[in-house]
This record gives sequence, structure tokens and C-alpha cells, in this order.
Amino acid sequence: MELKQLLRQKETFPASEVLREGANLQDFAGEYRRSLEDPEGFWGDWAGRFHWYAPWEKVLEWNFPEHRWFVGGKTNVCYNAVDRHAGGPKRNQVALLFIGEDGSEQKLTYSELQDRVSRLATGLRRLGVQTGDRVVIYMPLTLEGVIAMLACARLGAIHSVVYAGLGVSALRERILDTRAKVVIAGDVSYRRGKAVDLRSIVEQATEDLPLEALIWFQRGTRAELGEREWDFQELLWSHSPVTEAVPVEAEHPLFILYTSGSTGKPKGVVHVHGGYMAGITYHLRTFFDAKDTDVFWSTSDIGWIVGHSYIVYAPLLEGLTSVLREGAPDYPTPGILWQLVERHRVNVMFTAPTAVRMFMKFGPEWPSKADLSSLRLLTVAGEPLNPEAWQWAWEHLADSGKRAFVADNWWQTELGGPTLGTPLTHPAKPGAAGVALPGVEAAIVNPEGQEVPAGQGGLLVLKRPFPHMMRTVWGNPERYAQYWRELPGEVYAAGDVASRDEDGYFTVLGRADDVLNVAGHRIGTADVESALVSHPAVAEAAVIGVPDPLKGENIKAFVVLRAGQHKSETLIDAMIAHVRRELGPIATPGELVILDKLPKTRSGKILRRLLKAQELGRDPGDLSTLEE
Amino acid sequence: MGRSKRLSTVEAALRVLAYLAAHPEGLEAGQVARMLGKSLSTAYALLASLVAEGFAEREGASYRVSKTALAPTAPAPKAQHFERLQDALEELYLRTRERVYLALLTPEGKLHLATRGRQGLPKPEGLEGQVKEAFYAFALGKAVLAFLPEDELIRQVEELRPLTPYTLTDPLALREELERVRQMGFAVELEEYALGLSGLAAPLFGSDGQVIGSLGVVVPSRRFPYAFTRLLRAVQETSFPGFDRGLGPASQGVPVRPGSPSPTPLPSPTKPPIKTLEPAEEWADESLRKAANLQDYRSTYRRSLRDPEGFWAEWAKRFHWFEPWRKVQELNLPFHRWFVGGKTNLAYNALDRHAASPRRNQLALVALSGDGQTHKLTYRELLDRAARLASALKRLGIEAGDRVAVYVPTGLEAALAMLACARIGAVHVLVPAGLGAAALRERLEDTEAKLLIAADRVYQAGQAVSLSGLVEEAVQGLETRVLWHRRGSTPRPLEFWSVLEAERTLAPAEPLESEHPLFILYTSGSTGKPKGVVHVHGGYMIGTTYHLRQLYDLKDGETLWSTADLSWIVGHAYGLYAPLLEGLTTVLREEKLSYPDPSAFYETLGELGVNVLVTSPYWLRTLRRYGAEWAAQADLSSLRLVASVGEYLAPEVWQWTHTYLKTFVIDNWWQTETGAPTLGTPLCEPTRPGEVGLPLPGVEAKVVDAEGHELAAGQKGHLVLPQPFPHFMRGLWNNPEGYRALWERIPGCYATGDLAVRDEAGYIILLGRSDDVIKAGEQRIGTAEIEGVLVSHPAVAEAAAVGVPDAEQGEAIKVYVVLRSKEASPEVQEVLAQKLSAHLRRQLGPLAVPAEVVFLDRLPRTKSGKILRRLLKARELGADAGDLSTLEE
Repeated sequence: MELKQLLRQKETFPASEVLREGANLQDFAGEYRRSLEDPEGFWGDWAGRFHWYAPWEKVLEWNFPEHRWFVGGKTNVCYNAVDRHAGGPKRNQVALLFIGEDGSEQKLTYSELQDRVSRLATGLRRLGVQTGDRVVIYMPLTLEGVIAMLACARLGAIHSVVYAGLGVSALRERILDTRAKVVIAGDVSYRRGKAVDLRSIVEQATEDLPLEALIWFQRGTRAELGEREWDFQELLWSHSPVTEAVPVEAEHPLFILYTSGSTGKPKGVVHVHGGYMAGITYHLRTFFDAKDTDVFWSTSDIGWIVGHSYIVYAPLLEGLTSVLREGAPDYPTPGILWQLVERHRVNVMFTAPTAVRMFMKFGPEWPSKADLSSLRLLTVAGEPLNPEAWQWAWEHLADSGKRAFVADNWWQTELGGPTLGTPLTHPAKPGAAGVALPGVEAAIVNPEGQEVPAGQGGLLVLKRPFPHMMRTVWGNPERYAQYWRELPGEVYAAGDVASRDEDGYFTVLGRADDVLNVAGHRIGTADVESALVSHPAVAEAAVIGVPDPLKGENIKAFVVLRAGQHKSETLIDAMIAHVRRELGPIATPGELVILDKLPKTRSGKILRRLLKAQELGRDPGDLSTLEE
Repeated sequence: MGRSKRLSTVEAALRVLAYLAAHPEGLEAGQVARMLGKSLSTAYALLASLVAEGFAEREGASYRVSKTALAPTAPAPKAQHFERLQDALEELYLRTRERVYLALLTPEGKLHLATRGRQGLPKPEGLEGQVKEAFYAFALGKAVLAFLPEDELIRQVEELRPLTPYTLTDPLALREELERVRQMGFAVELEEYALGLSGLAAPLFGSDGQVIGSLGVVVPSRRFPYAFTRLLRAVQETSFPGFDRGLGPASQGVPVRPGSPSPTPLPSPTKPPIKTLEPAEEWADESLRKAANLQDYRSTYRRSLRDPEGFWAEWAKRFHWFEPWRKVQELNLPFHRWFVGGKTNLAYNALDRHAASPRRNQLALVALSGDGQTHKLTYRELLDRAARLASALKRLGIEAGDRVAVYVPTGLEAALAMLACARIGAVHVLVPAGLGAAALRERLEDTEAKLLIAADRVYQAGQAVSLSGLVEEAVQGLETRVLWHRRGSTPRPLEFWSVLEAERTLAPAEPLESEHPLFILYTSGSTGKPKGVVHVHGGYMIGTTYHLRQLYDLKDGETLWSTADLSWIVGHAYGLYAPLLEGLTTVLREEKLSYPDPSAFYETLGELGVNVLVTSPYWLRTLRRYGAEWAAQADLSSLRLVASVGEYLAPEVWQWTHTYLKTFVIDNWWQTETGAPTLGTPLCEPTRPGEVGLPLPGVEAKVVDAEGHELAAGQKGHLVLPQPFPHFMRGLWNNPEGYRALWERIPGCYATGDLAVRDEAGYIILLGRSDDVIKAGEQRIGTAEIEGVLVSHPAVAEAAAVGVPDAEQGEAIKVYVVLRSKEASPEVQEVLAQKLSAHLRRQLGPLAVPAEVVFLDRLPRTKSGKILRRLLKARELGADAGDLSTLEE
């Protein structure tokens, strides 16, 4: 049973010579080879960049399916991200730049960040937080949210950030699952000019829980605080910046992050101090090509893995300036992001396909109004980036490649950092995420675990661990082992279907659960969706399979139109005809519905599961991460 | 704080009466003087006036309270007696037989006027027609304003417009005047409302104690001195119904002055020790010394004098030059040129160089605005804003060489204005925000400034103080355009931020000759008008940065806070240029350091992680006076060094700072003219507290007699500099003779104007000014400037100003005034003294320190007619006046 990759991308787009020549990683092939031939030397060299209280004895201990890195070494991510710079010439460099929706700006230098983090750590310690304790952070995207994360890391406490926007049951479930002692929560978040109430969610979620402390970051009305409740700012400012980073084992857990759950019940993915620090910074430098003076803007949220790795940890570990902006990306105007890129001379931007499709919907006039001359690299991850959206970004955000490069990449909460991607040294193939990055051995296999030939679709697997790969699922080692045991051959099953071409480029076609089976042909949802998005009237699309007595499954497509397009029967027919032309008759949707918007997770992934459940009248499962 | 101890005449009279009443046996004038803490003559004057008014009786040498004054008075007039206030007006007229006025507040907040008087007597114009505009000008209006509730007062004051050159429009001066009125219970106008007319008024209170209006009298000024007491009594008795029980201590009529908090006793004034037997030596901690940027002062110093060209060229290579220089130094004394033929731009070196380096995202500047905002700008951002502003300035027609005056308080906008000017080669002229309109105008005229960048308000002790009136007055009739940094709500035609934000072009830094003028900064001279000191791009850049690294010992990544106002030379060099040139982070703070208390200062130190503090002895003394407990609570973990500059740093203060701020203290001496530290004690040499230290590299310093002969160690003489250095001023704007004169007062060298003595180890001790400049607080004020302002007052015939030692301010201003009208009663003098003090403030700016006023019949003069300030000062200090051969008898 073979999975058809229907959409063929003919053209490739190399990065400009200037970008290629300036790239931090020049000899990709050599680097990649070494990373697989001598992983211990490779990662050990990189980890040497950081401060270790005690050196490691062994770089890798691999007892399938458990892997441990930098065994015996002692370090602390917070020390390396903050103190190392605060004590050096970067002391007064801006570490974090916060931008509010109202245009307000707050900057923290490395030295100030150290001060605040150390103060809060003192306060947390005073409240009884110790190394290994869990702290749930339910904070809007603010400096204080980042400070809370770093303060936990400083103490060796394990933070579990819950996206501030998830509902009562999701938050409560995570507090219970982690058995957190302390919750740090915001009272409001700001979005589209309005204050969104978080307080009542937190109050309901923590009702009757035996918390030792509940710390409120209050920006709305200051409430009367009850017993064991503290004000964030008071706690911070009433304590001295005397708490040093606690040296912890390299394998000491840094955080638990629950996956956004496009596939069922959330899992608490565990990452650790040592390997995570080494891996995400490696990719910051070699894949995101960050230079020392770069302003790095990841438009994600601290509630997601992208926010953990590329808003907070990697940019700080490497001493960059990281931008965080609270609020909606199209508020107050659809051009606000580009104005901010101009104002702050952002060099590297990391965003999601859903955002690119949104920019597309608003049209090229918005980015064209701003001076984007500083922007060198636009990287996109989160779900497959349709070729159409890639092309649009290339043309309108990268000046057709003359100024910037658009780099797709693929990874997961479980993987901590980019795993497949298109580095500057490789020409982009729109629609393809890219090649396996250094340290990564990826393959496409059939359900029997046998590798399939190039060009054929199959299940995406990783054949070995790397330092920034998850260590376990919190409180559920069986679930962790399942990742490695799902398919024969001691491989990690990513749960995605993909194909690889002759040049080694991987194209991710969608979640394995989302693969369509039409008349015996396995068809990736991403292919059909990309074909739809390539139609000029379409902004976004999602397809699902609905049972069909004849074909097994029939394709049903949901489409959001671009601004200015109007719903009509003719248009629907034209779109179906367009897909038939692009992909052939097998993949032609049997039904096409036009919606105002698609159901998405909070991190922007399309929830096909919900569409399908609605279609079939089934229970959609855990919808805690659904964006309202 | 001297002011708060001073009693108004009325209060003094009340106290004397109370004292007399408590001693029915009678008191002598000497006892009264002791009680008052005043001179015998003051006591006699007070007693005489009390006798004249019938409150006291004299019997031989002793005084006692008049029996009639103590006799039970007639019952207080019934309230209905004044039901119709017109009756009060009539009564006042009948008692005084002068032109009297009644002003009543209408519900709309206007004044309703009524007047009564003999025909033919003066009727001040303007009161009838435009009451609102004028009412503050007259004593009547002031008496009302003084007792209005705060919000109502603000509303009224906002509408003030100047009516005569003497009317109070400056809110700070007005506020102070109103405070005085509240304390005295009446308002006086001395020829300030209209020439030849003086007036006196007291407020009228309603049954609930609210002000309902005022009642007053106007007389020709020539009669005022004689009639003052009589009129005052009449006005008060009529306006305060309870008052006619007598001017006794129990009088309820005069609002009692609120008890002003008595300040902590000051440490006794410290005077420079002229001969220290065994000066205590203090070494910096070994860790500081070992890490010091300058390790070997002596050989560096020797080299700097032996080979100045090589020495300075080496340092100059740290910077970007568009074109290399041909010659390091070209001397044609007193003129000198450095890096001749080289092209550079200070702003390029301060911003562009770092924005393209690893410092790109480092904070260049943290500005704490008086309105509570904090601006933090990286080098990249500061470059962006400065280049935009520079481009906007070009659009306004500013070209290289044009002068741009900047009248904006210390903060981001002032810094941007300076950097933008430097970028395009315009010459900036900073004028302290708050300096009086006349002084501002004088500077605009002297420099022929094309543009004035001005703030419409400054923040002082939490209060917004409007400057717009001063600015408008200063530019009236001049060609100068005004670019407003608007902070208030009144829109302005041309606004700083809207111009900057609308600008999309970034002006590149103009390559300029290294001798191209960077700025003109006015400093007070001993003779006449303030001098416009000129500094240039090349040499100034080299010299200020050299001392930043070698004396102040700044390291990369450090934060420097210079507490001086940006408009002073220390602010220019170490608030802005040198730290930016060296890629550090600088802190600017608008608000007074002591507001609301020193915790704000300590918090800034801690929160911003300040490593090196450059401040004044004045502020260190103030911190010491506040006490060590404030310092004990502060986070001083980052603070590594304190540099003290501006005046004499007493050993006690050095020790206090060393002990309680837990840092080493570097004393140093320099002037606007010398651009950067000139004498000082580098970390690698021992410090002798109380002695400034050694001549710094590049500086040859001598102590000489009046003929220029070098004096032996221990002998007091003039401090002179025989050689210029790169950061030494190039000249005086529009005044080459003035510049030449500085080199001619003592043959063959630049006379600093300071007296000094050198000890055996070569350390220099500064003894004070040899010329006529007063250093009060952090300000330098020329005596001539003060005198000029004083004689502009209609009551003053001539005046002399001297500085007298003051524990808190360093020096306090004391002015000697000869009045036009020779017969001024003590009461009038007291009032006049306060008025002149206010007048000075108005003209020199609200930031000037209060002056003590003394009235003399004539001033001591030399035969050639020069005022002998030396004599006045010597008398003040009880010291030997020295050679008085030229005194005119």
C-alpha cells in the first residue's frame, strides 16, 4: 500500500550568494557526516561552549529507548543563559525586548534580567520551591513569564508552562499531572485591545488543590490576595538578587511541556538542562544562522515548544536580543508585524505557516509599506508550509530571495529543536521541509519498518536520539517507550507521513492519522491542501476523509477564501477543477465547503480531528488547545 | 536653609511684643536682640517702630508693652458689620485717605473690583479693563491667589501673561512669592506693577475660611517707605475683623506660618586646609588598583609631556577618521590646533561605530524622565533616532556650522539634539532649562542661533514647571525658530517628536575637519557677560575619552552615571559624549537627585547597576547630611568608583563616601575651558583626601605668583597651565580678545582663575576662586551677572555680589544693595530683600539658589571705581581684607 505524493515541485530556490557566503555553517555535508559518525565528539565540542560546574564523563549513554547525554556533567541553563552574559561585555546588551499590543516597549538587559531572575528565585525559594519541584506557569507572553521560567531553571525546579488561553480543565489537568507545588499565573492577557480574563480560569482550575503558593502577576485590577497567594512583583522586589544558579546534573529535568494535542490526550514531554541547551543552540547558530548582534523574533508564545526554545532559551544562551510581543499578529493593523520588524531591525524571524497564510490573506501591500531591509531569514515551522504560501513569502517578505531566505523546517515538542529543515546552503524546494539536519538520521518507512524508495510516501522515523530530544513522558514511561516501539527497528515514530526525494529533501504530508485512503490510494492531506491553496481565491484549506461505501474514503475539503473573494457555486467548481488539474482525478475532493475560519489549535495547527468529528458526529476528544 | 530661619518683620514684631509682654519689668534692646538672634540695630529698629506705632513704651533704656495695647479691646466687630464689603472699603479709605481697592471673587472665578479714593490720585491702569490678565500683577490679586485652593490656583496661573517686565509669570517664582504672601498674611508690590506705584493688600476670608477677595491700598512709591507700617495696619485691621484687638501675640488675624521642618544640623563648614601637617594617604583596594586601566601614572605622565604628539596620536587611533591628520599639534599660543587636516565626526564615532559592532544591541543610554518615563535605547536605536533628527534639522535649513540652541532638560531629547547637531556639523549651544529669559535671549543673540530646541516644561520635585513663557519671551523679535519638545497639552507649531517620527531619511554623519566646532557652552566670567567656550570635534573626542578610561577607569560593558545636568560641561563630557564614544551605557536623570528623598538616587544606582558615579561634592555632602542609614539600605553591589568634580571635596566627605558608599573616591578638578579632568588622583597613586591630586597626563600645571614666577611647595598662588591639550577650549565665541586675555592675565600661560598650593609630593590643593565667580551648589554664577540683574530692578541703585562659604552649597550668594531711595524703613527693607531675591530668581532662572540681601548706604570701591568685593567678602568672613591701598575713602 503506497502513499502517493501527488504534488511535484519542480523549481528550487537557492539563497542569495551573500547569505550563503555569510552563513555560519558552510560545509553542511561534512558537518552532517561527522554528526552521525562521531556524535559524541560532535556534540561534546558544541557543549564545550557552555559553563559546566563539573565536566561530563560520557557524552552519550544509549540504552534503547532511554538516552542520556553529558552524563555526570553539572550545569545550569539559567546560569548559561543569563549570568554568563551578565558578567561579561554583554552585561548592558538588551536580552529581551517586550512589545505590547498598545506599542509599549520594555527592555531588559542581561544584567537586569539576572537581577530580576535572581530576585524571583529568592522569593520562590522562600516559598519552599526546591530543586526538582514542579511549578506551573500560566502567564501571558511577557517579560515576567520569561523571568518565571528562568527563575525555576535557576533553582533546578521544573517548570511547566501552560499556554495562557487554555481552559480550566486543561490547566487543572496539567497541575494535577505534574503535582505542582506552586502556580505562577497572570490575571489578564491582552489581545485585540481587550483584556482577556485569566484570573477566573486559574481560580477555578486551582480550586481545592493543595498548592503551596499561587503567585499572581497582576496587570488588571489588583485583587485581595488570600492565604498562600502572592503578588508577583511584590514577591520579586521584596527579595534580594542573592540566589545563585543551582548546579544540576545534565540530565536534570528543565521543563515539562504538554503537547498541543492535535492527536488526543496531551503528553507531558520532559526536556533536560544539558542536552537541550546544547541542541537548541546548535541549531540557532547553524540553522537559524544567528549572528551575535542579531535581533531574533520568534512570533510564537512561551506556552509552546517554539517559545521555550526560540523565544527564551536559545537566543538567551547565545547572547542575542530576543523579541516577544503580546497580542494578535494583525492587531492594530495587518501591517503591525512589519512595522515592528522595521522599528527594531529584526534580522531573523521565526513564524508559523498559519501566520504566513494570514499575511497572504491581507495582501502584499502591508509588508511593502515597511522597510524590511534588516530581515535576513524567515523561518517557518509548525505544520506543512504550502508551496503557494512559501512562494508568497519568498516574493513579498524576502524580496524574491534577493534580501532574505525563507527556510521551512519541521520538528515537534518531543524533538526540542529543528530536525528537518532547509539550511542556507541548500536551495529551497517549496513544499518540502528540507533535509535531515546534523545529528538527525531520518528515514521513511512502511508500517513494517522497511525503508521505502525515494519519492514514495511513508512514515517518518528517526533512527537515533539527539541531545535535545525528549527524555520521557512525565509520569508515563510506557507512553515514552511507545514512540520507539510503535514501529519495528528501534526507531522513533514521529507520527507524520512524509516522503523523501532523490536529493534527500523530506516533504511532510500530514499526521499519520490524517492520511486519506481514497480507493486504495493513500493520499497526504497536505498535498490536497496545498493544491487548494495554490488557487488564487484560497487563503487556507483543510481536508478530511469521510467514509464512502465505494472509495473507502472520500475527500471533503474546507476552504477559507482570500479577502475580496466571494462564495459562489462557480468558484467551488473552479476550485475542485483546479485540484483535479494539479493532482489528478484520485485526489479530487468529492465535496468542498467554504468556511469563515478553520478550527485550529492555539499554536495554529489546523484541527482536522475536530472537522472530522463534527462531520461524523463523533466525540472530538480533548479540545483543550482549540483556539476560540 | 538660612531663609527658613529668617523671620518676616511682622513675625519678628509679634515675637518682640510677646517677649515684652512676658517681661512687664521691661527689657533692654540687647536682650531683645539676643532673643531674636538678630543684630542690636535690628532690635532697635523694631523696638522703635513698635514705640512709634504705640504698641510699646520706652523708659530710659528699657522697653515694655504699652498699657493701651494691653488694655482690653473693644468687642470684635460683628460679622454683619462687614456684610456689605463695600463698608470695609469705605472704612479703609477713611482710615488711610489713600486710593483703596476691593477685589471680590465672582463665582466664575473673576475678580470684581471696586475702588474708592481721592480724586487725582493714581488709578492703576489695566485693573479695570482686563481684570483676569492683570489681577496677579497687583497686590490685590496676589493676596487672592495665595489663598486659593491648589486646583483653582493652577487654573488661574495658567492664564498668566506678562504685563510688565516685573510681573511674575514664571510659575516657580510666583509660587514662592505666593508662599511668602501666605506666611506674611499680606501682599506687597513695590513698583513692580507700575513704575512709581506701590501697593499693599490683604486677603478677605469668608465665614468658612475660604478666600473671597482682597482689600488693598495703592500709594506713590516715594511715600511708601514712610507709610508702610501705617498702611499695613490699616489694611490688616480692616480685612481681618478680629485684628483690631491689637497687634498682640494672640492676634488671630495673621495666618500663622506653618511650622517649617527644621533641617538636620549641618556638619560645620569645612574649609580647605591650607597647611596639612601630615596628609592622610589612602590607597585604593588592591583589586581596584591591579585592574586599573592606568597602571603607571608617572611614566605615562612623563611621556605625555615629552612627546605630546605621539602620546595623543596613539589614543586618537582608536577612533574613525574619514581622512588622517597631517599634523597632531599646531601651536601658535594662545591658539592651538590638533589633528590638523584630519577629518572625523564625533557623532559617527559615538554611534555608527558601535551600531555596526557587537555593541549594536547594547544599551547606549538610559534616560529617566521627570514625568516618570524611562527610555532605554540601544546604540542601534540611538543612531536611528539621532540620524532621523539630523535629517529633520537639515530640512529645517540647518547646515554645518550653524548654531542650534538647546533648552531642554537632561534626558533623551537633549541627548538626541546634541548628537543630531554633531552629526551634521551644526554647533550646539546648551542653555540650562529654566535659565531666565534674559540670559537665554543673550545666548541666542550672541550665537545667532538659527534654531532653538526648547522644552515647554521641566519637572522639578514632581511639579511640572512651564518654560513656554520664558521661551516665548526670549525669542520675541528674534529670527530664531523654535522646535518644541512638547510635554504639556498645548500643541506647538513645530514639535520635536512629530518631526522626528515623520522623518524617514537617516542623515549620514558629515566628515568634518577635526577643528570643526562641536559646541559652545557658556560659562560665567569675572568680567561682565558670560563667555561662550568653544570645543571642537577632534581634540575634545580624544581628551574626554582618554580620561574616561584612564582616570575614571571605565571598563567595557560598564554603566556610568554622571549626575550633572547635561547643559554643564560635566554633562556634555561624561553624561553623553565620552561614555558613548567608548561604547558604554550612560544614565541621564532629569529630576532633582534629592526628590522625593535620597532613596530614589540609591534605587537608580542599584536598579541600573551603576558601576561608576561621577557627581559633585555638593551631592556627596547632601547624602552625608541625609545620613548613612539611607546608604545602608541601598544595593551598592555594582558601584565601584565615585568621581567627584565641581568644587572642593572635604576630607570628611571623602571619608564618608568611602565608608558608606563602599567605594573608592576619585577627586578631580577641571573647568568648562579645559573640557575634561585636568588635575586628579588616578587609582594607581595614593589619594590625599582634601587634595585634588596631580596634573593628569597631557597637563602641565604650575602654581605661580602674579608675575608668573613658579612658587615653592607650600606657597599659595595662582593655578596656571602653560600648555594647551587636545580637549582644551579653542576660543571664546565672538570674543577673541576675551580668549587672549585669559592667557595674558599671568604672562605666558593660561590662568585658571583658581588659587592653589602644591605640597611636597606634588599634590595640588585648590583654595578657591581668585576671580569673581560664585560656585553655589552645582552652579557657577558670575558676580557680574548677578549685579547686572539687580540693578535692573527699579529700586536698586547699585549692587555687589560675593560668594560666602556655605556648608551646604559650597558657596552662598550674598548681595549688597544700595537703594535709590535712601530712607527705607526696616520693614520695607525686609520686604524688598525678599523681592530682590525673587527678582534674581526670575531673571537667572528658577534653578538659581536664593541669595541673601544686605542693604548698604554705599559700596566700597577702588579709586578706579571698581567695586571691592574682596573687602565685602573679607568683612563677611571676619578675615584680613588684604591690601586696601586702592580703597576710595
